[in-house]
Amino acid sequence: MANRGQHGGERAGSGILAAMARTVAIVEDDAAIRANYADMLKKHGYQVSAYGDRKSAAEAFRSRLPDLAILDIGLGDEPDGGFTLCRELRALSAALPIIFLTARDSDFDMVSGLRMGADDYLTKDASLPQLLARISALFRRADLLREPPESEEVLERGPLRLDMKRFQASWRESAVDLTLTEFWLVHSLARFPGHVKDREQLMRDAHIVVDDATITSHVKRMRRKFQAVDKDFAAIDAVYGLGYRWKA
Amino acid sequence: MKVTLRAKVVLVALVLSVIPLVGYVHVKQMEKILRDAQEQALRANARAIAMALHDRPQLLDLRPGEPASAEMELILKSLARAESRVWIVDQNQRLLALVGDLKKRMPEDESLDFATRLVHPVVVRLLERPTEDFDDSLPESEIASGTVAVSALQGVPARRLRESVDGRATILSASAPIWSGEQVAAAVVAEETTNTTRSVYNRALEQVVAVTLIAFLAGGLTLLAFASRLSTRLQRLRDEAEAAIDSQGRVRKVLSGSTASDEIGDLSRSFSTVLERLAQYNSYLENMAGRLSHELRTPIAVVRSSLENLRLHPLPEDAGIYLTRANDGLKRLDTILTRMSEATRLEQLVRESQKERFDAREVVRGGALAYPQRRFEVEVPPSPVWLRGAPDLYAQMLDKLVSNAVDFATGDEPIRINLQAKGSEAVLTVSNRGPRLPEAMAGKLFESMVSVRGTKGAGEPHLGLGLYIVRLIAEFHGGSASAMDREDGSGVVMKVRSPVSPAG
Repeated sequence: MANRGQHGGERAGSGILAAMARTVAIVEDDAAIRANYADMLKKHGYQVSAYGDRKSAAEAFRSRLPDLAILDIGLGDEPDGGFTLCRELRALSAALPIIFLTARDSDFDMVSGLRMGADDYLTKDASLPQLLARISALFRRADLLREPPESEEVLERGPLRLDMKRFQASWRESAVDLTLTEFWLVHSLARFPGHVKDREQLMRDAHIVVDDATITSHVKRMRRKFQAVDKDFAAIDAVYGLGYRWKA
Repeated sequence: MKVTLRAKVVLVALVLSVIPLVGYVHVKQMEKILRDAQEQALRANARAIAMALHDRPQLLDLRPGEPASAEMELILKSLARAESRVWIVDQNQRLLALVGDLKKRMPEDESLDFATRLVHPVVVRLLERPTEDFDDSLPESEIASGTVAVSALQGVPARRLRESVDGRATILSASAPIWSGEQVAAAVVAEETTNTTRSVYNRALEQVVAVTLIAFLAGGLTLLAFASRLSTRLQRLRDEAEAAIDSQGRVRKVLSGSTASDEIGDLSRSFSTVLERLAQYNSYLENMAGRLSHELRTPIAVVRSSLENLRLHPLPEDAGIYLTRANDGLKRLDTILTRMSEATRLEQLVRESQKERFDAREVVRGGALAYPQRRFEVEVPPSPVWLRGAPDLYAQMLDKLVSNAVDFATGDEPIRINLQAKGSEAVLTVSNRGPRLPEAMAGKLFESMVSVRGTKGAGEPHLGLGLYIVRLIAEFHGGSASAMDREDGSGVVMKVRSPVSPAG
């Protein structure tokens, strides 16, 4: 189950460290935050390389790619430095997991960031467990993508198919490109079709703490993504005053 | 009474009416001069005839009743002016000779210019037209005791104006004595009508009236047109300015600003600038929450990540309590930040949302589900209430209204949620028993970061954004939000009106 990643992340240190420490790159212009995140990730067994500006990060990435990158959007004088960096990284590697971690929380920035090819988008009020849950989930997915599919853990609900290990969703055989957060939201809803999930539950399952409006816009984006492959998609149902449910 | 700019300009234009008056006075003056000249000429004529006859006293030995001699006739005819009548009377008041005719032979042929022709039909009624159709008989009394003749017979030349017998013409007469030695032998009286002067006077007056009337009309109309244009522009500016700011003082749209280079254009442009600044300031205020939350997020992230790191270190036993407190404080800060950014995000959401048609009843029925601890009375009409907008947002709006009502409700009375379709409007009200609205806040409740709550100690932070969100969503649905006390003062009613979406 994907939501176990939250705890898995905390324990990941001892397990993975034995094999080979994974490299996580943090690009963040605030020295205190950068150092704090670096320290925390190190304590959880990751090898961390931290950069304060886009230039030094880009140079370092060209000689050696990290296993996962955490990017801030505004970097020093460059208000969109993170977006540029994300594009450069994607050009270097299509599979590299990228997470935006930023103070910006506008829908516009979120959509832009995800369009650049990032795997998820977190605001800076996210807590460490939420970040760790994403890091470990993305690492697990990266591992599995490299290996041939042997063991599958799949959730099927009618035309919906969720690959719980690779975090891939498909609807009527066509892939739906969801971010990690969106995948967790869909999973939370689809696990018990017909049951209403309130916003609190959804946030818990998707490892986020946000306001109601953000949940609304997440749901809106998810619907749009499903509607892109099937314009009659109507499985996510709003129950006014309570929350959302998956229509079986 | 409201005196419009147009009326004022027309009043001012009345000053122009002095021009015809001046013209009239001028023409009157001219008539006097002409008449004087005619009089002078007539007197000179009478004197000349008298002089000519003075040399021929034998001519005066006429018997009354006999025709005048040919010579006398010749002298009189050659000296007399055209269109004048000359007669001679002796000391015994006997008419000795009479030549000439007061009536004009040739009919008057006036050629009028264009402007005069325009006013001619009007003026002709107002003016006294000289006529050739009058009784030109020489009355006996005039010969015997006419002051002119009598005066001349006493040796004093005289002149006077008199009416014709039938009163239809004015006759000017002048006399001169004919001396025979020291004695006045007879008197010459020359007469003319004033018709010629009158005609000239009339024509001049007609022209003056025509010209000034046309000038007056043209000037007046130009002024009126100008005034109308000015007042139309001012009215448009006023309407635009009024439409630019709504009843709550928010800038709805910025004036386009006229491109005219005059003062009204200036005024319109400065209005436009003022409104633009006001709009900027308003949006600065409304975005304050969002920006503040954005700016605070980084330092809070520093604190949070530091605390999280700290927890991974071995700490003395009593340090844990402080760590917990720090975390609690952080959690509260987070709530504040989330609330603040919610409004901003909602503004974006509202901007981007697509509208669909939905039945508001479904949304309203679920409105109270999130508050199982309170009693509600939900009332919806039996038939669908179709709105155009986003049901998610409408639900969020209702939630804010309900949570507001829950916070303020006192006693056990249920909170009343009511949806009604009144004509083309859907009216949603949420009413709770509780304290009245503070008067000072009237009209401000739905603004960003305005809260009427007293400080409630360490409870949930209140930023006054809930009702602001209500307003945003109400406006997204083409409606408006308002708050009022219950009629009996026992509580508060929040009301959202939005237009019903027509079928199809």
